Amino acid sequence: MDVRPEFPLPDTSWEPTAEFWAGAAREELRIPRCDSCRRLCWYPRERCRHCDGEQFTWETMSGTGTLFSWVVVTHPFLPQFAALVPFVPALVALDEDPGVRIPTRMVECDAAELGFEMPVQVAFRPLSFEGVTGQVTAPLFVPV
Amino acid sequence: MANRDEKTDDWGWATAYDDVSGAVAICGVGESDHTKASGRTVHEIVGSAVERAIADAGLQPTDVDGLMHIPLPEQFDVAAFHEYFGTNHDMWESKAGGGMRWAGTAPYEAAPALRDGSATTILNTFGVAWATQRSNMVGGPGESHAQELFKQNVEIPMGWFPQPVYFATVARRHMFEFGTTPEQLGAVAVTCRRHANLTPGAVMHDKPLTLAQYLEAPPIVEPFRKEDCCLISDGGGAYLMTTPERARDLAKPVVEVAGVGLGNSATGAHWAQQEAFTSTPQVFAAPVAFAMAGLGPADVDVYTCYDPFTIHTLMQIEDSGFCDKGAAGEMAERGDLAFDSGVLPTNTHGGLLSHAYVLGIAHVVEVVRQLRGEAAAQVPDAEIGVYGGYTGPQASTLILRRP
Repeated sequence: MDVRPEFPLPDTSWEPTAEFWAGAAREELRIPRCDSCRRLCWYPRERCRHCDGEQFTWETMSGTGTLFSWVVVTHPFLPQFAALVPFVPALVALDEDPGVRIPTRMVECDAAELGFEMPVQVAFRPLSFEGVTGQVTAPLFVPV
Repeated sequence: MANRDEKTDDWGWATAYDDVSGAVAICGVGESDHTKASGRTVHEIVGSAVERAIADAGLQPTDVDGLMHIPLPEQFDVAAFHEYFGTNHDMWESKAGGGMRWAGTAPYEAAPALRDGSATTILNTFGVAWATQRSNMVGGPGESHAQELFKQNVEIPMGWFPQPVYFATVARRHMFEFGTTPEQLGAVAVTCRRHANLTPGAVMHDKPLTLAQYLEAPPIVEPFRKEDCCLISDGGGAYLMTTPERARDLAKPVVEVAGVGLGNSATGAHWAQQEAFTSTPQVFAAPVAFAMAGLGPADVDVYTCYDPFTIHTLMQIEDSGFCDKGAAGEMAERGDLAFDSGVLPTNTHGGLLSHAYVLGIAHVVEVVRQLRGEAAAQVPDAEIGVYGGYTGPQASTLILRRP
């Protein structure tokens, strides 16, 4: 498989998630909301999965949520992640709608202190990888 | 993939299936040698499995007039069949075959062809050479996920990739929601290893595993240890289908399809957003299959389920109705999954965890052998066997019986 040169950085120009990454660059957590049923829709699709609506408005979230689940990676499955090991990928449930879960990393904390449903908040941090040019500001999370 | 039948507020749905109970029999099974990296090609691997399946049925390659496989170019298609056997007869061909959920639904796809005479004797085939190819794959079996653009753009940058990370996240949540413990995950791994130690041809045949050894090993994606994760193998399998009437004239005891079901998740492979995070689409597939068969979970003598990680065995046992949601860990810990438990013998060949990572085709082969009385870790008097196939976005339940 051929990967983009900036992989595993995101392609911030890919239309469906471009506003998510543009928001992150401004330190805003942006998620689209369906204009018809008013539910948040993540990941963004052409149609709302709840009501089939086709119009959305991106909205800035509070950045607060709860820790839905997490793991501690001690084995790098991609060589680009070797320098980060050990790290803590996590799913954060947003306070605005706990059904919306943001794949992220828990940072600046001791993994042993993490607990289910603990309140967390977004911490925008630069994402970069050894051997990959460039960096992207990403919504990581810290315990409150 | 079948059309969605109706919008529902539920997190998934069952595909509407016609009744195929009693319409299909599995009359031949075969496996390649399963190994770590071997340098073999998929064609060589599957060809050897097919050769054995045809011989197992007491037939010749020219008797096989139908072939099912997955829709990837390197799979064992009709051209590969003819090249391998030196044949050139017309064959019905379907790309709705293979492993994972398709190893469970292939008989459903074969039934109309058998009924209308398009084919009389149809193979389902699957093989991989991922152990040989591993270093060229992005994230190993995660490579197909790395090609998916939502994963590339919102999951992979965060390190939420590949499958061991997704499903360790699920396992930890299952521990929170239901009290599942590392010892219970370990019991699944240890039970499968014991079954593999009894099964000739299992990759881990000569490698015992105790619960103490499991617990001593360091996590690789906590809470998963290496032994929570399936093998990476070169290997393949095949099974031959015909009508029960024709099967009665062939070499082996008749094993017929009693029920099939297919379940779908509305969030597909985006498990991060799956509402029922600690469940599988067996929730939707199993009831359809059991209703078609006129049976219930209590009737099942032997169960195999697609087990890329220990947590999938627990979830599919729960979701298929063999116990209450969240209670499968206790079953594993009590030894209920052992082939000689008399409760729910599970993955009696060792599963993906300890037999071989051939994506479920060998699970169906094992159920057939169990029902014929030919298995290594044989369940006494097995008459009803089930395969739970899982692909993530979908899951299937295939119920087989001795008539």
